[in-house]
Amino acid sequence: MTSISHPATLAPAPSRPVPRDWSRVIAVVAVSILALVVISPLFLLAVASLKPDRFQILADMGSFRAFWVSDPSLQNFRDVWTFSGALPFGRYLVNSLIILFVTVLGGVFLNSMAAFVLAWGRLPGRAVILTALIALYIVPQESIVLPLLTIVNRVGLSDSFTAQILPFMASPLYIFLIYQFFIQVPRDIYDAATVDGAGPFRIYWSVFLPISLPVLATVAILLGIETWNQYLWPLMVTQTDRARPISVGIASFFGHDSVYWNSAMAASVMMMIPVLIFYLAFQRWFVSSFISSAVKG
Amino acid sequence: MSIDAVPAPGAGRRGALFGGRMQEAAMLLPALALIAVFLLLPFLSSFRIALTNERLIPRPVPPRFVGLDNFQNILSDHEFWVALWNVARFTLMVLPVQCGFALAVALILNTKLPFRNVFRGLFFLPAITSMVVVCVIWATLFQYPTGPFNQILSVLSFGMAGPVDWLGDPRFAMPALVLLSAWQAYGFQMIVYLAGLQGIPESLYEAAELDGANRWQRFWHVTMPSLRQTHIFVLIITTIQAFKLFTQVNILTQGGPRGTTDTVVHYMFTAGFVNQRLGLASTVAIILFFIVLIVSLVQRFVVRDRK
Repeated sequence: MTSISHPATLAPAPSRPVPRDWSRVIAVVAVSILALVVISPLFLLAVASLKPDRFQILADMGSFRAFWVSDPSLQNFRDVWTFSGALPFGRYLVNSLIILFVTVLGGVFLNSMAAFVLAWGRLPGRAVILTALIALYIVPQESIVLPLLTIVNRVGLSDSFTAQILPFMASPLYIFLIYQFFIQVPRDIYDAATVDGAGPFRIYWSVFLPISLPVLATVAILLGIETWNQYLWPLMVTQTDRARPISVGIASFFGHDSVYWNSAMAASVMMMIPVLIFYLAFQRWFVSSFISSAVKG
Repeated sequence: MSIDAVPAPGAGRRGALFGGRMQEAAMLLPALALIAVFLLLPFLSSFRIALTNERLIPRPVPPRFVGLDNFQNILSDHEFWVALWNVARFTLMVLPVQCGFALAVALILNTKLPFRNVFRGLFFLPAITSMVVVCVIWATLFQYPTGPFNQILSVLSFGMAGPVDWLGDPRFAMPALVLLSAWQAYGFQMIVYLAGLQGIPESLYEAAELDGANRWQRFWHVTMPSLRQTHIFVLIITTIQAFKLFTQVNILTQGGPRGTTDTVVHYMFTAGFVNQRLGLASTVAIILFFIVLIVSLVQRFVVRDRK
């Protein structure tokens, strides 16, 4: 970050004025300004979350004071984390994290296992199953949520973690993504494992999984983002705080006459932090996974 | 959980082919069962429910078969057509804004700019921001009467225009949603364009340069035609996303003011969840499915046409 905001340090020594280098500096400055303008809403969010007075937040928004906090305070975070605030955000965050980890771990495991059988198994009817899965991929989540709600209600799973995890673990898209990776594995690798007498699960577990890290990471990131951002489904399926995720919790700030902006800002920062940590750690993987989700067409 | 169904590693050594196939079935089954129960079953039952007057919370009276009444009711409901028109309006506005900006940033990032990867990381940040968080931020940006957008408007117009109640004015609510939606989502289109740009062979540009084409001509006659497939893909994906518009509307405008931001999914949510009319809502769900299906088929058709 700092290297971007001080691009002048990149300029060549004044005694050696090379025009091309100057144009590079200008380009970097121009793109830096554009980037800062584009991400400034996120910066405003971070600053506002440190202001405990909700009226101050709104008053500051219209001026440059929105970019500055004179006496930063973590009071908002303390409020939303404990029950002393309007809503139990610590609970919502933990709920979201539980849903995230179980869905992603289970999803990567189940989808890759199914993809392995579809790619290398000898089970009859694999082609039919694959075609059916590709056809199902087109069904948007939005058009099945209401019938799904009646099913979940009927089996007594409403307002539960299970109702937010099980329906989204297995997915035609992710099975297909991993399948495409698996079929490119050279035949020799599979044959060598078979000659050793390993069964299908053994081959999947100790031969295919270790070499599939890129595609597994892709699926984990895409499924993780999708799970973290779920809104319509948990809005309908959670009635109490028991399993309510943070997305629905934040949205419940709206719809009142006066919004507690200080709490909403702090809760939003809390919702962003886990994603940001993963993003900073695996940035290249994030970008490439979004590309591979696109290339499948 | 169903993971227990998987036999221990190496179980099928002696049973040879049969044991192996049992194991394979056990590996395939958990995922297929979940998809069957939580995707296929609700999808199929939506077609059944659409023909009944079923309620979300069952009444003492069993649901009745009503034939195509639900379809008739929806197609004659003015509000549904307004919702459909709103989504179309949203799509027409968001496509140029979002895809245009995505392409512009991709073109910048595709040059020999220093720190390209840092910039790419920064420009991609909105795309990983949850829509709920985006709504919190942008609600304050659109604040009436002293939010940043109103201040900018006031400065640019020398105090002549505004302040505007962005989310509360029927003329501006939809454009405001377009702006925040485009900001949140352009990152995806940006990296798709970036991948497309990197796939254009350098030799094409060299040949154009030898022919004396300037930068502008190279963009229109080399870059744009080479991106044809990418354009189609980006347009289709953005259109499908736009037709599913819901979260922003549900949080910021509830379909208002005066129905100007009501959408198909919001209409479905209101009919099925708020008003409990499951039969009616399932009918909307089916209509939404066919819209998405048709848009996807158009893509297949156009792409195949090229080959």
